[in-house]
Amino acid sequence: MIVNELILPVILVTIVLVVGAYLVAVIDGMIAAALGTPQRGGAWLAPLTQGAWLLTQQANATEAPDWRAWRLAPALYLALAATGLAVVPFSPTLIPTDLVTSVVLWGSVEALATVVIFLHGWSANTLLALIGAYRYVALGLSYILISMFVLIGVALPAESLQFSQVVASQEGLWNVIRQPLGLPLFLIVGLGMTFWGPFNLADSRDLAGGTASTVSGPSRLVWELARAAMLVAFSGVAASAFLGGWLGPWLPGPLWVMLKMLGVLAVLLLLGRLLPRVQPERCVTLMWVVLLPLSFVDLIWAGVEALL
Amino acid sequence: MAVSWLSRLAAQSSVPVFPVRGIQGEAALHRLTLTPGVELVDSPRHASILLVAGGVPPDQHDALRRVHDQLPNPFATLWYRSEPLAELASATRVDDPDALPGTLMTAHQELMRGKRGSSPRLLPDEPPNPWEGLGDDGHGGEGMMGGVPYGRPMAMNMHDDIRDGLTLDSLTVTLGPFLPMLPPGLGAKVTLQGDLVQSWITQHAPYPIALESVFLEAREHPVPIAELELARARYHLQRLAFALRLAGLERLALESLRLAQGLSPDSRLEGLRRRLTRCGFFRLTTTGRGWLDETLARRVGGVAARAAGLEEDLRSQDAAYGRLKFTPVVQSDGDTNARWCQTLAEIEQSLQLARQAEREGLYSETTEAIETPRGPWGEQRPGDASGVIDDLLPGLEWDEAMTTLASLDLAAVSEWPQDVTQELGEAPGDGADAAEERRA
Amino acid sequence: MELLTLFFILLIAAGLGLLIQWLPLRRQPMPTYPQRAPFLGGGLPETHAWSRFHVRYYPMTLLLIAFEMEMMFMYPWAVVFVEQGMKAVMEMGMFLAILSVGIVYGWREGVFKWQ
Repeated sequence: MIVNELILPVILVTIVLVVGAYLVAVIDGMIAAALGTPQRGGAWLAPLTQGAWLLTQQANATEAPDWRAWRLAPALYLALAATGLAVVPFSPTLIPTDLVTSVVLWGSVEALATVVIFLHGWSANTLLALIGAYRYVALGLSYILISMFVLIGVALPAESLQFSQVVASQEGLWNVIRQPLGLPLFLIVGLGMTFWGPFNLADSRDLAGGTASTVSGPSRLVWELARAAMLVAFSGVAASAFLGGWLGPWLPGPLWVMLKMLGVLAVLLLLGRLLPRVQPERCVTLMWVVLLPLSFVDLIWAGVEALL
Repeated sequence: MAVSWLSRLAAQSSVPVFPVRGIQGEAALHRLTLTPGVELVDSPRHASILLVAGGVPPDQHDALRRVHDQLPNPFATLWYRSEPLAELASATRVDDPDALPGTLMTAHQELMRGKRGSSPRLLPDEPPNPWEGLGDDGHGGEGMMGGVPYGRPMAMNMHDDIRDGLTLDSLTVTLGPFLPMLPPGLGAKVTLQGDLVQSWITQHAPYPIALESVFLEAREHPVPIAELELARARYHLQRLAFALRLAGLERLALESLRLAQGLSPDSRLEGLRRRLTRCGFFRLTTTGRGWLDETLARRVGGVAARAAGLEEDLRSQDAAYGRLKFTPVVQSDGDTNARWCQTLAEIEQSLQLARQAEREGLYSETTEAIETPRGPWGEQRPGDASGVIDDLLPGLEWDEAMTTLASLDLAAVSEWPQDVTQELGEAPGDGADAAEERRA
Repeated sequence: MELLTLFFILLIAAGLGLLIQWLPLRRQPMPTYPQRAPFLGGGLPETHAWSRFHVRYYPMTLLLIAFEMEMMFMYPWAVVFVEQGMKAVMEMGMFLAILSVGIVYGWREGVFKWQ
């Protein structure tokens, strides 16, 4: 019992998280190469050599950081990613933690991610990181509502806040078709909570790396790892909520989940490379005035559809 | 054992280079951007090599020392056409742009394998201020204010906010001259409240930019218009690449640089323009901010002037251009967006002029007044216009300020063409000799 | 049991994150003061960065609170939605309509602008 309910989930989550984060780096490298970034050596080795370099590099310090918060923030971000991934069902029986309220739990992960990213920028006590942190909060507060409405939308037909029930409710038709607005909106949330590509308000170039501009060495490694891991966790949730999780013919359930996760990751990483960074003020307006009403529409659509 | 295995792996990573952009170092950095295995990073904390590309004036050596000391161990320095600081006399110096990538990679590998020691720290290990005050954290001081906990005073409210009048703390910092988002050499004293620029006082003008030699030749004798126009398009494409990289469009920045590298009269801009519009660069990233009125626009000159609706282009005075039916393109808005529309339009126009001029074998005729890509060169070279940002940037958010800065071309034009290096302040013969050797 | 597992996963991931940072740091001396200075391209700050920072989107945060309260009601509503049928749709529809008016009003007042 201990093995099944405690050790197996922990191992499963750890492996998926680490391998997934590595694959994020690989796929991103491949997309970059395909889009014309000059590259030496293969995309498969690059994340490993980069990681090794970060491990040998000295960890930087700032003049008077909030040490505890500064070191904790990357670790907490990683922990949040792990927690998020833990509620993703890989098959009807293989679920790391099958909470009855797993949708709510994922919502709290999203909210806490904002806190942790803010903490990472704030605790360094340097100007550029601080601006990145505060600027990110504006985005963090904007995407969270969209995410919640969209997720409530998938909970309606399932009559449950449990991801395994949400997957089961998609037996006939996946939510991506049943609620066509849901997945595109949710992907935007994913880019937001990992401040990837167009929503990179926290670690962007105009801030010389923003919240990450002061960290180096192992701390930066954990931060980048956590960011990739969060993307993996997000893709897991997106696959369960919209792409029917383990459902699919021929292949075993867990394999389907992984394939769908890879698909979501590829789309997110491609979007990240194709779109420019959105100006913060425009980003907030876009979220509240365009995307949030769209998520209302999605919710009402989902509601009516669930009753029919 | 484990450590040596790790460092061997680390030696194979792409070389993270923090570039200090000195005088006339840009050309080499453009080439490095397109070099596989070299990654130009934005923060010295993310680099294992400090590359000083181009000369640094002696009065900025202290700033250079500060940046040098901000790289984490182990790190090395490399000096491209630049005299190493006196303390680092034995540091590697490279003058040949072709040898630069190789030297960078060797340096990184040697560093990782432990064959090369880390560069020494140059500044004394002392806090910025000795702690003062009474309390455990050095606070206290006189009354409510004063004291330097952990070496620095705390922020105070200086002025009411210029946008909503709230009085919160403002942060005053000196930026540059080596901040990667600013034009090379630009240094400023900036006060921020939140992420809004409250005041911007330019302290160091950006380094003079070196134009391609064809523009300097055009001042002396007629030159083929095709060559002139291609050089102009190349210049604008490189500026565009910088802005695109800043906007997180790495892919299009590279495309722009590649286009500049292999530019010929047959090159086409349509593909890049289409991708730029489609990805939403004009709608999502550039803003309607950074508006220049006529006076300011005339002071900056060139693209900025024409983007503000001033039909000023010295090419109109050249009879050869007249035969090509040249009329200046202009925009009306005069903001960041207009400047990029103008830049794209001018690149296209230059390519078209180059095509026509090549077919007809036309040479420029006027030598007294030529239009450089930076602005009109009549009686005197386009001068430094960085003064305009002191009025322009206050009131903008950080993001808008950086986007605006990238869209403005403010530096003076150097009296030297791009290929000959002339280092300010240090052994002027040295760099020129090296350049002459290469030419010979 | 699920919560215990979740707690373990959280603990292990956070521990891993701290361990990767701590292990290589053990033998490392503290970086020098010039190295620790904030990176401003060679420039220096006059003060610490911590300050009463002017958060320019504060009206938006207030709007968010209104919505967050509403989310609390939405979770239980989602579970009983199908059971309640059309009545639930109407109720939430009205609720959302009122909130939408709030957004439009806020937009008109420039709530989403940097103040």
